[in-house]
Amino acid sequence: MDYVHLRRQAASLRKGLFDQGYLDEQFYQLEDLQDDASPNFVEEVVTLFFRDSARLMANIDQALDKCVKDFNKLDVYMQQLKGSCTSIGASRMKTECTAFRECCRDENIEGCMRSFQKIKREHSVLRQKLESYFQLLRQAGPVECATRPNK
Amino acid sequence: MASSQVVKVLIVDDDVVTRRIYRTMLLRFGFEITEAGDGKSAVNQFLTGNEYDLILMDNDMPGMNGVEATRTLRGMGILAKIIAITADDANSRGAFLDAGADEFLLKPVNFTMLTVILKAFNFLN
Repeated sequence: MDYVHLRRQAASLRKGLFDQGYLDEQFYQLEDLQDDASPNFVEEVVTLFFRDSARLMANIDQALDKCVKDFNKLDVYMQQLKGSCTSIGASRMKTECTAFRECCRDENIEGCMRSFQKIKREHSVLRQKLESYFQLLRQAGPVECATRPNK
Repeated sequence: MASSQVVKVLIVDDDVVTRRIYRTMLLRFGFEITEAGDGKSAVNQFLTGNEYDLILMDNDMPGMNGVEATRTLRGMGILAKIIAITADDANSRGAFLDAGADEFLLKPVNFTMLTVILKAFNFLN
């Protein structure tokens, strides 16, 4: 198996995630925390993020389905999701979470619905890309520390 | 400090991902970590006789928020260092410091800044 090629693919995928705005600098901090004591830390945290964010999004879906919309509750859920996005550097999702919260403040339910659809799309795309990235890393085997893309 | 030599930290945040990140960082320093998911749980930790040297306190949590929890803990005579960590803008800074927090950081936490604060608190050699 061409491990060099796999590592190059993983590096390219990772660079794309930053260049296209899916991830921000916070993700570098997660990578900095990965070491011999926590060799899979980044993947573990990302996995935890997608599990927990799916739960939060299910709560938001339920709240949006109700006939009487509780904008305060929606805002609380979205604040939690936004916090989670901030922690792992999920930049595009974080931006959409902010937009959703603005719609909550305006009690604009259609805006909330549109924004939430965008959040779901961003969530799905980010999940696919990160899953592919970690799969490539696993196939490539232990790698030296990734270098940060030039800013 | 709490009676043992190890620095005992209470991480208070309703986000499981954030708690996991702080835990990993602080374990690197050899700290002993406990987590709480909201302000009331944090207060209960002390009411049940636990001692901590340091608290990382989020603000927006269900039930009791971080400012209220900080005020309550100081009212109980708890002297642990409290670092308020929040995504709020600077408005919550004043509220936290008035409530008795020792330091304030905006999310996402810059780990270098957190390390500087831990050193200033003499938690790191």
